[in-house]
Amino acid sequence: MRLAGRFGGAALSLLMVAVLGFFLFRVVPGDPVVSMTRGRPSTEALQAELRAQFGLDRPLHEQFWSYLTSLLHGDLGTSFTFRRPVAEVILERLGPTLLLVGTSTLIAVLLGLWLGVRAAWRRDSAFDRVTTGVSLTLWAVPTFWLGMLLMVVTGDLFPSRGMRDTDTAPDFVSQALDVGHHLVLPSITLVAVVCAEYVLVMRSSLLQEMHAPYLTTARAKGLRDDLVRTRHAVPNAVLPAITLVFLRFGLVVAGAITTETVFSWPGLGLLFYDALTGPDYFLLQGLLVVTAGAVVVMNLLADLLHGVLDPRVRVG
Amino acid sequence: MLELKNLTVHYGHKRVVHDVDLTLAPGQTLGLAGESGSGKSTLAMSVLRLLPKTARVDGEILLDGEDVRTMAWGRLRAVRWASASVVFQGAMHSLNPVHRVGDQIAEPIRLHGTTGSVADLLDQVELPGDKARAYPHELSGGQKQRVMIAMALACGPRLVIADEPTTALDVVVQAQVLAVLQRLVAEQDLGLLMISHDLSVLAETCDDLAVMQAGEIVERGRTREVIANPRHPHTAALTAAFPVIGDPAHRWADPRPTPPPLLQVRDLRVNYGRTRAVDGVDLTVGHGEIVALVGQSGSGKTTLARTIMGLRTPSSGRVIFDGSEVPRGGRALKAVRRQVQLVLQDPSSALNPRHRVFDAVAEALRVHGLREDEEALVTAAVERAELRPASLYLDALPHELSGGQQQRVVIAGALVLGPRLLVADEPVASLDASVRGEIVALLLRLRTELGLASLIITHDLGLAWQIADRVAVMHQGKIVEQGSVEEVLLTPSHDYTRALVRAVPRV
Repeated sequence: MRLAGRFGGAALSLLMVAVLGFFLFRVVPGDPVVSMTRGRPSTEALQAELRAQFGLDRPLHEQFWSYLTSLLHGDLGTSFTFRRPVAEVILERLGPTLLLVGTSTLIAVLLGLWLGVRAAWRRDSAFDRVTTGVSLTLWAVPTFWLGMLLMVVTGDLFPSRGMRDTDTAPDFVSQALDVGHHLVLPSITLVAVVCAEYVLVMRSSLLQEMHAPYLTTARAKGLRDDLVRTRHAVPNAVLPAITLVFLRFGLVVAGAITTETVFSWPGLGLLFYDALTGPDYFLLQGLLVVTAGAVVVMNLLADLLHGVLDPRVRVG
Repeated sequence: MLELKNLTVHYGHKRVVHDVDLTLAPGQTLGLAGESGSGKSTLAMSVLRLLPKTARVDGEILLDGEDVRTMAWGRLRAVRWASASVVFQGAMHSLNPVHRVGDQIAEPIRLHGTTGSVADLLDQVELPGDKARAYPHELSGGQKQRVMIAMALACGPRLVIADEPTTALDVVVQAQVLAVLQRLVAEQDLGLLMISHDLSVLAETCDDLAVMQAGEIVERGRTREVIANPRHPHTAALTAAFPVIGDPAHRWADPRPTPPPLLQVRDLRVNYGRTRAVDGVDLTVGHGEIVALVGQSGSGKTTLARTIMGLRTPSSGRVIFDGSEVPRGGRALKAVRRQVQLVLQDPSSALNPRHRVFDAVAEALRVHGLREDEEALVTAAVERAELRPASLYLDALPHELSGGQQQRVVIAGALVLGPRLLVADEPVASLDASVRGEIVALLLRLRTELGLASLIITHDLGLAWQIADRVAVMHQGKIVEQGSVEEVLLTPSHDYTRALVRAVPRV
């Protein structure tokens, strides 16, 4: 029953996302067609044609219905700036974003949780102070500034624009090496900026478990200190961090707007930026639906995984 | 086997154990009694060097002739659990919530490479073998404590340290767990060091007894002799604090004729989904009368109390207060709640740690919109609860007060509205023996001075004997027996009441 409830809740959230995606861009003041053609030569006739093309001349409920039905078929409308289906544009940028943001988030999570465990276990040690101090400083630093600083400091060591060079040999190995080379600076920037979150959550969560009586039991049994930590303390302390980690995984598809813009990484973050400067309403609407949907799905996964890891919330 | 010589433990400059000498031979059972803060748990934890790093330990702790204090880490880990093991207090938190209990029992066996099977160990503590696959939260309190005992015996140690092994269990379950522990200690000829604040529990289990106060052992000897002829005043205070059912000296409530009814419960039923928590209960509390509602956990007594307070809607039946039916909601229910106040079990969690005493007591006045004379009313209530002079306490935060003082603040918070009935849920269960007596006396004085009636919910038959005029015994949602304290506790007529009375440990 509870399992069905969770799926039902996620489905309801997804529906809300779809509804919100539609109305959010209909209640913003101003005529979308006027904004789309701003700064370009246009006539009344052209604007009327655009309206007809995007279906904006039909009544609102008809627009909503056709939006919902096409959404179910994976059709997110047509981008004004790209003159191509929104779904196609988004799909094309999904790969680079998953590569950059996915890799960085994974590294940041693993590194952050590991550092957090170490820091909490040796609370107030030099390791703890340095770890929390450095990660908090990096957390506070503006992302674009850190990115630019890295570019300046590393000089010509790593490429700082785009995802691949045009003159790289077409075979897989050369291409992969080239992408990897381009990946270094933006991923370091991303990891450095978001790592603190995982360090602090893991650290405080483990500190709360540090005086749990079951750890005394484990010590009394004669377990080594590191076994007490890995076998008994961490499995309990990691539970609150799970939800956070999965929420972040959900946001991966939103890309990293600042980082992707600074390094001209051709991902969804840069697409967001382009769609906003358009402004390209259908693209924005599509991006909103896709990213919010990913968060909802990941949250559902977090709930399910929490049930697997914690027998107390296991669902039948 | 175990020998402590001049053992002294400091936390910073605070000395918690002072110059203790103790010896325990194989097969000997020694009880260590004392109140919270007496240093008894610190002493027990020092045997396996389980104290936090901030503790400074001086003296000698010889386990089979070897000093635990100077052992190398590897040797210490080998000794832990294999030579001496611990049954910790509060099995709920001492078992790891995310591991199956079978794995937790098997862990020390694998670690120390000893022989032993989880199924045999569970069988010894009278648990079915399939419980090995259960997680701690799926077991009852008594079952978890049995798992702790099975775990302690996993590597065949010669010494078992039991730290308050039955605290928080109710009498019947406590008796069962103690019986299991006693049988295994006798069968396997184990040495047992048992720590408790409850002398009657130690009297049941241990041949020898040592009494601790403020870090020192003030008296020791054969358990029977120590309890029968205490030489130290602290021992005398401890023995006196635990009421002996049937002893007129421990019967503090003076007999009085049956007063006219104040609260009447008629054929009350409360359902939780399909389970019936309260099943056709009739109960009466007279003006100024103290009624004890006794029963095991899960008997439905707390649900009954919540329904009387109007915190739960009954499925059927009536609650009549002072002649008129308690309404199900609205302004009229609020008016009744002013006259019926609740005192909770654990004052340290009932009080908001960031509220000063004044605010904690004044809160009820504010809820009921009685802003006039707030200060005078609060002061009067605090003094009624015998925190005198009130000015000393009004600005204090809960953590600055002792357990007994905290419970007085909770009582003051109930008194401030001038209620006519107190519903007290285990009002002394979390208190030390000496403080417990004071709170019991306070409740009795409030009855004499203010004519305040009380419904006391407890699993402690001794408390009922001390304080109540009448007793109602609740079992599986029904009141199986009620009558005067003497009738019910001395000549129980229902089988369940007899079982309850039999389960009470005797000094």
